[in-house]
Amino acid sequence: MSQGILRYLSSTIGRKYLMAISGLVWTLFVLTHMLGNLLIFAGSDLYNFYSYKLISNPLIYLAEAGLVLFIGLHATTGISLKLRNMRTKPSLYAVTPKSAKGASLSSKSMIWSGTITLVFLVLHLITFKYGTHYDTTVDGIQMRDIYKLVIECFAQPGYVAWYTFCLILVGLHLYHGVASSFQTLGISHPKFNSAIKGFGWAYSIVVAVGFLAVPFYVFFVKG
Amino acid sequence: MAGNNNSRTMRINLKVWRQKDRNAGGSLVDYSLDTVSPDMSFLEMIDVLNEKLIGKNEEPIAFAHDCREGICGSCAMVIDGEPHGPQTGTTTCQLHMRTFSDGDTIVVEPFRAKAFPVLKDLVTDRSALDRIQAAGGYVTVATGNAPDGNAIPIGKNIADLAMDAAACIQCGACVAACRNGSAMLFVSAKVSQFALLPQGQAERERRVSRMVWQMDEEDFGSCTNMGSCAAACPKEIKVENIARMNREYGKAMLFGHEAKQAVED
Amino acid sequence: MNLDSKIPSGPVSEKWTNHQFESKLVNPANRRKFNVIVVGSGLAGASASASLAELGYNVKTLCIHDSPRRAHSIAAQGGINAAKNYQNDGDSVYRLFYDTIKGGDFRAREANVYRLAQNSVKIIDHCVALGVPFAREYGGLLANRSFGGAQVSRTFYARGQTGQQLLLGAYSAMMRQVDNKKIELLNFREMLDLVLVDGKARGVICRNNMTGEIESHAADAVVLATGGYGNVFYLSTNAKWSNATAIWRAHKRGAAFGNPCFTQIHPTCIPVSGDYQSKLTLMSESLRNDGRVWVPKNGNDTRAPDQIPEEDRDYYLERVYPSFGNLAPRDIASRQAKFVCDEGRGVGSTKLSVYLDFAAAIKRDGRATIEGKYGNLFQMYEKITGDDPYKLPMRIFPAVHYTMGGLWVDYNLQSTIPGLHVLGEANFSDHGANRLGASALMQGLADGYFVIPTTLANYLGSTKLEKVDTNHDAFKSARAGVETGISRVMNIKGGKTADELHRKLGKLMWDNCGMERSEQSLKKLLEEIPKVRDEFWNDLRIPGDAANLNQELEKAGRVADFIELGELMARDALERRESCGGHFRSEYQTPDNEAQRDDENFCHVAVWEHQGEGKAAKRHVEPLTFENVKLATRSYK
Repeated sequence: MSQGILRYLSSTIGRKYLMAISGLVWTLFVLTHMLGNLLIFAGSDLYNFYSYKLISNPLIYLAEAGLVLFIGLHATTGISLKLRNMRTKPSLYAVTPKSAKGASLSSKSMIWSGTITLVFLVLHLITFKYGTHYDTTVDGIQMRDIYKLVIECFAQPGYVAWYTFCLILVGLHLYHGVASSFQTLGISHPKFNSAIKGFGWAYSIVVAVGFLAVPFYVFFVKG
Repeated sequence: MAGNNNSRTMRINLKVWRQKDRNAGGSLVDYSLDTVSPDMSFLEMIDVLNEKLIGKNEEPIAFAHDCREGICGSCAMVIDGEPHGPQTGTTTCQLHMRTFSDGDTIVVEPFRAKAFPVLKDLVTDRSALDRIQAAGGYVTVATGNAPDGNAIPIGKNIADLAMDAAACIQCGACVAACRNGSAMLFVSAKVSQFALLPQGQAERERRVSRMVWQMDEEDFGSCTNMGSCAAACPKEIKVENIARMNREYGKAMLFGHEAKQAVED
Repeated sequence: MNLDSKIPSGPVSEKWTNHQFESKLVNPANRRKFNVIVVGSGLAGASASASLAELGYNVKTLCIHDSPRRAHSIAAQGGINAAKNYQNDGDSVYRLFYDTIKGGDFRAREANVYRLAQNSVKIIDHCVALGVPFAREYGGLLANRSFGGAQVSRTFYARGQTGQQLLLGAYSAMMRQVDNKKIELLNFREMLDLVLVDGKARGVICRNNMTGEIESHAADAVVLATGGYGNVFYLSTNAKWSNATAIWRAHKRGAAFGNPCFTQIHPTCIPVSGDYQSKLTLMSESLRNDGRVWVPKNGNDTRAPDQIPEEDRDYYLERVYPSFGNLAPRDIASRQAKFVCDEGRGVGSTKLSVYLDFAAAIKRDGRATIEGKYGNLFQMYEKITGDDPYKLPMRIFPAVHYTMGGLWVDYNLQSTIPGLHVLGEANFSDHGANRLGASALMQGLADGYFVIPTTLANYLGSTKLEKVDTNHDAFKSARAGVETGISRVMNIKGGKTADELHRKLGKLMWDNCGMERSEQSLKKLLEEIPKVRDEFWNDLRIPGDAANLNQELEKAGRVADFIELGELMARDALERRESCGGHFRSEYQTPDNEAQRDDENFCHVAVWEHQGEGKAAKRHVEPLTFENVKLATRSYK
């Protein structure tokens, strides 16, 4: 039976299932991450305390391993499908259609928005997770002052610009990805399809805007 | 009224893909016609061009066509980047020159996908679609075994949905329109027709599994849910069918009693 | 010539059952030893291929297209008749039989038609089982509509795409056997000759149109299901590739041709719009269920149709045929359209069309109901003409649609060549001088699913067949003949295209042997066709070479055959000195312009035997006897 499952998962549809499921895991992750980030508006202590609680929980290692696994799966499957699709459609047409028969920008650019997002993710980890370690004490507990690092980074106009660019791409990636996952997993009904599409649209905006609220707040209000 | 347009004629410039045979390279060649009537179909316009080419002792443009009433699925051209041209829900043979304007330049290319090799000019080999059909697009019932036609009542809405899917003319425009050369819309239309109907239940797991695997084997691309296929479909088959196929395939994978058999088949 | 129709004895209702019992069988283990070639993949060819393969025979199916599903059966719109009597309106096998005989103007064989009516019931059951999405009532049961020439509602349909759905059903059954390796599907193949060994059909020579390669295929029997020859007229509702080459070349090998002049002109087609016109598009007869046919009373009335008041309109079908009205049979509805146009009352810029008006139906049932029934047909009409039929009446005119004539076959569907069976429109058998709407699909599937499995077994089980392969001299010489023929047309190197000559032939045929024929027109036609033939053989131009895909070469071969067949049609029409069904001789009509049959002298099938190249074919006769239906003048009034 397991051999059967592998046969199914290695097909193009099977690989799309993997894309959809791993994508949805990350979709949920970015939402919680974004909500956590918004704690910055509640002040440095709460923000740092939240961060401390998160990283001091031993389950964090399991969660991190899971996230690495899923993004690895998402990226490698995505790239393998892209390579296959480049082979199955060796050339496009001399003319790009004028009318609305073409695909949306978001759907066409998934591989690029995805790749840049991945690069951003690595740099993002280097900047924050593995970045300068400031110390602070909240309620007598010594912990990392991640708040200070955030304020420092988002005070630089160049960094804010790059962060904004990347988050717009994340939004674009989510816009197609979220609604598309439903379709891939077979969740579709004429009654709900426009709602699903609307949900994908809203979700991507909420996530992108939520993330961007922090640098804009830091740069324009605090700075 | 249609009959009154006869006096009006248009000048149309064409860039048509010419390719000698399967192995040769090809290129776009310029032609122009001065006396195109708006009431001509696109294929009739090519007929006129071909007569002109033969008159000059040149080889006419080879193109697939047959019924010329939008149902056989033979005609297959990409017109200005769009399979079957700019009009929605229309095959090339039903596309009329009144859609274009005097002086337009129209680029005509064959359907492109790895699974559809070009045989000559605008003619491609689409027999891969037949092989997908053979892999499972049927109900196993030998002639002479059938119960009375009214023995299984089928709700009108279900029959209508099945008919919507069954309206596919196997032209391959979905594959041609897809940036990945995916045949998901075609395959899902076939899978949907039988998955919806009670007659198709017994074989539904085996059917969807084998058809999807054959589709992969024929070198069609994967679906990235862009929807260009449905937008190009002359019979306006909906992408909901693709979701249904994804569902069917997932069910076969997770709960299928026949998965093992399908793998072995 | 032996024209034994092999009609089984006994009462008409028991003939087929008796015959099935009396026919020889082939034991299941032995069936795999027999090879059968099926030429054509439409309803008849696909259903025959599927059912023969299911029985265990090795089938090779030749298909002219890239895919069998493109055969022109796909374009049949309206429906398929079956004597189910689901509507409780008094239908029965006997009534379908009776309607078909009467609709055919008493020029079909009773026994064949009865069998057709019997099998009609099983066809619906089988197609439903195959997953054909027939139209349903809300309760889930099968829906029916009415068609011309019948007063019961017995037509099953799948929107306006019934032929498509039935063909896809047969195609799916056939592809299942391709997957089972019981059918070898040979696509892009065009049959160019029939090979006979010891007088029996043992194979075919065909061209792979994609590569130009000539191939030989041997078998124990050959089944032709290559459709009709309406494209003799150039403009017809047939597909562009529909052709007579397979049946014509079989005819030249000895298969007699039955009633070649019987062609059906369909009353509801979209009129011609210009010289470039490449084909005509049918609007399903089912439209006449709700559409009303009319022309202005006054030929000079130039008002837009919706501006013409009721009192100035002539609903001529309702006026002349009050009991059948707009649902009069096809030949009658076509001829009436021609009469009103001849009177100068036609509409449109060419004055060669009549109105088919849905205003009353839309007012009565609402636009949504009409859209539900005919939406795709209305859409198609609008795409072609640019007019919106929800607002303006459609303009229609008759066009060549179907050929009732075809290769002569006996009750077993075997031609005068042993081992050559002919199914569907390619044979002459079931529709007499006029086919009723929704009966072509019925015949194609009855022949393929239910008749040929019995009768082919009977042939194979009762015939001694020596082993023959493609190295046999008969194959070599037939192949050489085909190759010579191809190089002959390639080398004419004149100045005219095959289409140009085809259009010329078509116009001659339409003008002189179309909806109305006369001794004078037919004699003129017989003088003109040889001129076209000479022009063809002296002035044809085919660019390119024969060793590749060459669509001009393909067309040329078909046109050469159409020219010869056209001549035979003219001779047949000339010899049949009566009017019946679709064959309307202007000399033979009643005072009120109805067809006047001559049962005393022409109650027979005219069967033509080829006498060799350049020689006139010989006319034989198969008398028709009517034991169950009384010969009577058709009346739809």
